[in-house]
Amino acid sequence: MTELGVMEIVAITARTLAVCGTALFVALVLGLPLGIFLGRRRFGGSRAMVALVNSGMGAPPVVVGLGVALLLWRSGPLGALGLMYSPKAMVLAQIVIALPLVVGITLAAAGALDEDWELQVQTLGIPRRWRWWLLVREIRLGLLAAVIAALGGILSEVGAVMMVGGNLEGETRVLTTSILMYTQMGEFEAAMGLAAVLVGLTLLLAGLLTALQQGGRT
Amino acid sequence: MSAEVVLAARALRVERRARDASFTLEVEELSLRAGEVLAVLGPNGAGKSTLLRALAGLDAPAAGSVVCRAEGAVTMVFQRPAAFAGSALHNVGAALLGRGLSGKELRERSRQALDRFGVAHLAERRAVTLSGGEMRRLALARAFVLAPSVLLLDEPFDALDAAGQADLSLDLRRVIEETDVAVAVVTHDLRRAMLLADRVAVLLEGCLAQQGPCAEVLEGPRDPAVARVVGMTNLLRGRVLPPRGADLAWVEVNGVQQLPCRTSLPVGTEIWVGIRPEHLKIDVGRGELDPVGKAVVEHVVSDGVAASVNLEWGGVQLQTHLLAGRGLARTLTRGDAISLSVSPDHVHVMPAEAS
Repeated sequence: MTELGVMEIVAITARTLAVCGTALFVALVLGLPLGIFLGRRRFGGSRAMVALVNSGMGAPPVVVGLGVALLLWRSGPLGALGLMYSPKAMVLAQIVIALPLVVGITLAAAGALDEDWELQVQTLGIPRRWRWWLLVREIRLGLLAAVIAALGGILSEVGAVMMVGGNLEGETRVLTTSILMYTQMGEFEAAMGLAAVLVGLTLLLAGLLTALQQGGRT
Repeated sequence: MSAEVVLAARALRVERRARDASFTLEVEELSLRAGEVLAVLGPNGAGKSTLLRALAGLDAPAAGSVVCRAEGAVTMVFQRPAAFAGSALHNVGAALLGRGLSGKELRERSRQALDRFGVAHLAERRAVTLSGGEMRRLALARAFVLAPSVLLLDEPFDALDAAGQADLSLDLRRVIEETDVAVAVVTHDLRRAMLLADRVAVLLEGCLAQQGPCAEVLEGPRDPAVARVVGMTNLLRGRVLPPRGADLAWVEVNGVQQLPCRTSLPVGTEIWVGIRPEHLKIDVGRGELDPVGKAVVEHVVSDGVAASVNLEWGGVQLQTHLLAGRGLARTLTRGDAISLSVSPDHVHVMPAEAS
C-alpha cells in the first residue's frame, strides 16, 4: 500500500460518512413527514405521488447522477452555483436517491396502520402533537427499515457520486469512488483495503440500526 | 329523571355514503343524562353505530346538531378496540398524554384505571398479546382514565363468552355507578343491554322508532317492529271485540281465539297483539290466573339456564320461557296438553295502521 496511507483511508472514510450522513439527514427530515402524510391521507393527486415515489425507489443511481449533473453543469439551470464536482453535489445526488426510499417505506408503514387506530386516538382526545408521537411509536419498525434502506442505498452507491463528484483527491473522493479508481489502476491491495472498510462500515451501521429496531420490537 | 342532560342530539341527520349504498340516520331528539345508561337497540344496519359515531363527533351531521354540555371528555370504546404499541400501562397512559401530568402521576392513574377493571396484573404485558376480553377491559380502563362525562360503548360484549359477558357487565355497572358518567351502549343483545340500561332507544332503518325507560319500552312497544327488537316475540294479528265486563276489553287473535286485555281502541279496530314470552303462564292443572284456554306443547328447547317452550293454542303459535331444570321445564314434552293463562295487563295492543 504505497500510495494509500492510513491517514488517507481515515480521511476518505470520514468524508464518506459526512456526505452520506448529511444526505441521509436531509432525506429523513423531508421524507419521514412526507411519507407519513402520504400514507395517512388521501387527496387529489395522492395516488400519482405514491406512484412517483414507488418508481423513484427503483430509479437507477447512474440516471439520477446524470440528471443532477445536467442540473449542475456550468450551462445548466443551477450552473451558476458552481456546485459541480463538490461534496455538495454528491450530497444532492444522494438525497435524490435516498428520498424515494425513505418516503416509500414510510408511507407503506404508515398506510398499513388501520383506520381504527386513528379513530381510537381521536376519541381519546389526544392532542395533535402527541398523536404524531404515538404514530411514530406505532410504526417505528417501518421507520427504521426506511433508515436502513436509505443508508444502504447511498453508502454503497458509486455511479452518481462519481458523475457529480468527480473523485477529486482530498475533495470528493469517497470509499466507493476510490475503490473503483484503484481497481481500474490495477492496485488491488488498496482497493481491497478500502473495500474492507466499506463493508465493515455497512455491516456496523446496519447492525446497529437492526439492534435498535429489534430491541424495540412489540 | 331530573339528572342533568350532558349530551343531546337535536333534529339530527347523518348521511353515510358507501360505494354502492347510502344510508341516512334521522333522530329528532335524544338525550344522555349524567349517571344514566341508555341502551341503543336495533337490528343490524339500523344505524346504531352511525348514531354512536355522530354522538362521539366522529361524523359531522348533515343537519341538526349534537349539543355537548359535558365538562369532562366524550369518549368511545369501539367494538374492536385498537391496541397501541407497548404495554397495557402505556396504552392507558397514552390517553392522558398532553395533560401536563408527570410520568409518575401518569403511571399511577393508569394503574388505578386498570385495577378498576380487574386487569392491573396485566399492566406490563404488551397490549397486542392480550385476549379479546382483556383488550376490552384495557380499552374501558383507557376510556375511564379520562374521567369522561360521556362514554359511548359499541357492542361491549361482542366476542366474549357468557361468563366474560356477565363479569364485564357487573364491573361496568359498578364503575358507572361510582363515576356518574352518562353512557350510551349499542348492542343487539337485549339481555346484556338490560343489565346496564336505565333507558332504551330503538332504532329501525335509520329512524329512532321509540325511546323511554326500559320497562315502558319493553312492555309497551309502539309497533310490531319495535316489539320484535325488544323481545316481545308473540305477535298476533287481531281486532277489538265488544266489551263483556266493566273494565276489560276483549280482542280476537288470528280470527280463532279470544283474549282479555286493556285497550280503549274502538270495537272493530284492526290491531296487533303482543305478549312477552315470560308473561305467558302455563300449567298442567289450573293456573294461578283464569286460563284463557288449552294449548299443546310443540317443542321445548333449553340452553341450561332458560327453556323456551313453543305452544300451539288452537291455531295460534305462541312461545313462553321457563327457568330450565326446574318444575315444568323438566317434565314437559311434545304433545303435552297444558292450560294457558295471561294477565290482561300483559296483553299489549297496538293499532295495526301504525306499523
